[in-house]
Amino acid sequence: MVFSGLPFLFFYLVVTLLIYKLTPLKLRNLVLLIASLFFYGWGEPVYIVIMFLSIAVDYTHGMLVERWRANDRKARMAVASSVFLNLLILVTFKYYDFLVGSLNAITGWSIPLLGVSMPIGISFYTFQTMSYTIDVYRKDAPVQRNIVTFGTFVTLFPQLIAGPIIQYKSVADQLQCRREDLEKFVSGIQRFCVGLAKKVLLANAVGKLWDVFLATDTAQLTVLGGWLGLAAYAFQIYFDFSGYSDMAIGLGRMFGFEFIENFNYPYISRSVVEFWKRWHISLTNWFREYVYFPLGGNRVSKPKWIRNILIVWLLTGIWHGAGWNFLLWGLYYALWMLAERLFLGKWLEKLPAALRHIYTLAVVLVGWGLFAIEDMGQLGSYLAVCFGGGSLVDAFTLYQLWSYLPLLVILAFAATPVSGKLFRKLPERVQAVATPVLVLASLILCTASLVDASYNPFLYFRF
Amino acid sequence: MNKTMQRVTAAVFCLFIGGLGLLHILMPDRTFSPVENRNLAQFPTFSWTSLKDGTYTAAIETYLEDQFPFRDKWMGLKTGYEYLLGRREFNNVYLCGDTLISKVYDDSRAEKNLQFIAQLVEKTDLPVYLGLIPTAAEIWRDKLPEGAPSFDQVAYIEAAKDTGAIYVDMLGALSAHSDESIFYRTDHHWTSLGAYYGYTALMDALGVEPEPQGEGETVSEDFYGTLYSTSGVHWLQPDSIERYISSDGITVEDVYNEETHGLYVDSFLSEKDKYSSFMGGNNPLYIIRNPNAATDKTLLVVRDSYSDSLAPFLTQYYSEIHLLDLRYYRTSVADYAEGNNIDEIFVCYSVENFIRDTDAVFLGQ
Repeated sequence: MVFSGLPFLFFYLVVTLLIYKLTPLKLRNLVLLIASLFFYGWGEPVYIVIMFLSIAVDYTHGMLVERWRANDRKARMAVASSVFLNLLILVTFKYYDFLVGSLNAITGWSIPLLGVSMPIGISFYTFQTMSYTIDVYRKDAPVQRNIVTFGTFVTLFPQLIAGPIIQYKSVADQLQCRREDLEKFVSGIQRFCVGLAKKVLLANAVGKLWDVFLATDTAQLTVLGGWLGLAAYAFQIYFDFSGYSDMAIGLGRMFGFEFIENFNYPYISRSVVEFWKRWHISLTNWFREYVYFPLGGNRVSKPKWIRNILIVWLLTGIWHGAGWNFLLWGLYYALWMLAERLFLGKWLEKLPAALRHIYTLAVVLVGWGLFAIEDMGQLGSYLAVCFGGGSLVDAFTLYQLWSYLPLLVILAFAATPVSGKLFRKLPERVQAVATPVLVLASLILCTASLVDASYNPFLYFRF
Repeated sequence: MNKTMQRVTAAVFCLFIGGLGLLHILMPDRTFSPVENRNLAQFPTFSWTSLKDGTYTAAIETYLEDQFPFRDKWMGLKTGYEYLLGRREFNNVYLCGDTLISKVYDDSRAEKNLQFIAQLVEKTDLPVYLGLIPTAAEIWRDKLPEGAPSFDQVAYIEAAKDTGAIYVDMLGALSAHSDESIFYRTDHHWTSLGAYYGYTALMDALGVEPEPQGEGETVSEDFYGTLYSTSGVHWLQPDSIERYISSDGITVEDVYNEETHGLYVDSFLSEKDKYSSFMGGNNPLYIIRNPNAATDKTLLVVRDSYSDSLAPFLTQYYSEIHLLDLRYYRTSVADYAEGNNIDEIFVCYSVENFIRDTDAVFLGQ
C-alpha cells in the first residue's frame, strides 16, 4: 500500500487511527504491529514472512549481544552475524540478479537468475534493523526484551517503505512511552497534508514533463529541452521523496512518534557538500555512523580518507538501485566531494553566492541524469545534447516550457524556505484560520488527482 | 494555534477521510460508467491463490477506485486545477478555447497503410476513390496551443495521391469552410455539416453536381462526445446534432445483428454515445438501400465511423451502399466488391484513424 492512494487514505488510515485511539495505552504497540503487518502484507502478502524473519533475527541477536556483553569477542560475533543476515536478505532480493547477470555477461556463464520481485521498502528496513544490534552493542540504546515493542519498531508503517531511516536509538524511548496529544496530532495532520500535496499535486504533475523528454529521441532533443527535462526530474524526485518523508513524519506524529527530518531544502545549497547535508539526511547519517566513522572517517591518513569517501559513496550509489548507473552516480558524487574538500571548496568561497548556486545545481542536475537514465547509451547522448550537442531550442521545447511554466514557478518557490517563512509571518490568528482551510484544500485537490489517476476511459469508440 | 482551531483542523481531517470512506461503503456500487464508457470493477471474490499472488488486494484497490463516490466530479475538478496551472493538453486532447481537439501523432503504420491502398488499386478493376479526412487538428491548426506538436496531415494526404486511387479532395472541401462548425467541439467526429462538405468532395471527384445541403433538423442539443470523456474538461457547452437527410423510403440492413432500420437510430439520442444515432454505431456491415436514388449504382465504402454521418448524403446518389468496417468484418476488400456487384469502391477514413489502423491490411488482400 502507498500513502498516496485512495485505499490508504480513506480506509486503512481511518480504521487504524480509530482502533489505535480507542485502545488502552498498554496495547497500542500491539495495534500498531498488527496494522503495520497488514499494511506491509497488502501489496505482497507472501513477503510478510520476511517481516517475521527480520523481527526474529534481530530480536535474538539483540538478546545475544546483551548476554555476551562481558565477552566482547562473542558480542562482536553476534553483531557481525546480525549484519550478515540483514545484508543477506538485502542482497538476495535486491542485488542477486544484478550481480549474477553482470557476472554472466562478463564470463559468458549462464547462472540462473532468481527473477523475484523486490520486496517493497527492503532497503529501508534492513538498514533500520541493522542499526538496532549495533546500537545495543555500542550501548547507545538498551536491549529490547519485549518482542511486541521490538516488532513495532521493525514494522512501523509510517516509515517502513520509504524512510526516513530511523536509527533504533532515536526511537528507543518513544517505543516505551510517547506523548500523544491534540497539538501533536494536529501538527501531524498538517505535515501529512503538506507531504501528500507535494507528492500528488507537484511531483506527479512535473513527472509528466520529465517523461516527455525522456521519451524524446536524443537526435531530436534540444539543449534547452535537455536541461528542462533534468530540472523536471530534479523537482519530481525531490517533491516525491521529501513528500513521502513528510507524510511519514506526519503519520508518526499522529501516532505519537517524533522522527528525524530527512530533507532541508537541498536545492538552495551552495556546494555539493552542503547539498548532501540537506538531501536524504537519514541515509547520509546512517552511512556516516555505521560505515564512515568505523572506517576512521577523516581522522586517518589522506589515502585512507580518500578510500573511506569512495567506499561510502559507492555504497550510497548502489543502495539506490541495482544498476551500473547508480554505481556511477555514487562515484560521481565521491569525486565532487573529494574535489570540494581538497581544493574546489576554497575557490568556491571566493565566488559570489549566485554562481555557487548555479554550480551546485548544475552538478546536481547532471547527477540526476546519471541517476534517472539507466541505459548507458542514451545517457551519453542525452548529456551530450545538454552540453551543446544539439540545436538550442525548438517549437516543441517551447510548447512544453510554456505549458509547464506556472507549475515550474510554483515548484521553484516551494523548493525554497520562502513559502514557509511567509506563512509564519502572517498574524497568529490568520495562521490559525488558514490551517484547517489549507488542510481541506489539499485533501480535496489530492483526492481529485488520485481519482483522476485511476480514471481510465475505455475508448473503443475513439475510432 | 489555539485549542479551538486545533480541534477544527483535526475535525476537518477526520471528517473528510472518515466521511468519504463511509460514503463509499454506503453508496450503492455502479456497474457501468457512461462517461468512461466501460464497466466498473466490482468487489472481487476471495480465493487463497489470488490472495497469495497479490491479485486479490490489487482487485480491491481497483474496486475502491472505480466505485469512489462522485468519481466523475473529482475528475472534472482535477482537470480544472490543471487548467488553472496553464495546462491546455489533457490525455492527448487539446483544449482550444471552447473546443476540444484530439491530438494526432505519428504512427509507424502510416506509410504501410498507404501501400495497402496501392495494392487494392492494383488488385481490382473497379474504380477506387480515396478520401482521407483531415481532422480538426489540421483544419483548425491555428486554434492549437502555440507550438503544440501535431502530425502533418496535409503532407500525408499529399503522399496518398501516389497510391493510384482517385483522389477525393476532402482537405480542400473542409479547408474552404474552416470557419463553419464542421467538427464537434466535444467529439472527434465531423458534424453533419462537415460530412456534407465531404459528400461534395466525392461528387466533385465523380464529376456529378452535388445536391444542395438543404434544411437541417436539430435532434439533440446536449451531446457530450468522446473528447469530453477523454479530456475531463467538463465545463464546455454541449454540442448539438443535426440531420439534413430524411430517412423516408430508405432502409439500413444491419447484417451482423440481422435487423433493418432507417438511417437513424433514435434510441441512442437518450444515451451518452449520441453519435451512434447515425446508422446505429459501430457494426461490421450495413447495407443501405434507397429505391429513389438518382442512379442505380452500388457503392462500397471501406470506412471508419466518420462515414456514419456521411452515408445519409450518399443515399441521394447511390441506390445501394455497403458500409464495411474492416475492424469487425475482416475480409479481402477486392473479393467482397467482386461478390456483391459493386460499381465503385470508396475508401474513406479520417487521417487520425487511418495512420494507426491495424486492419488496413485487408485492403490489400
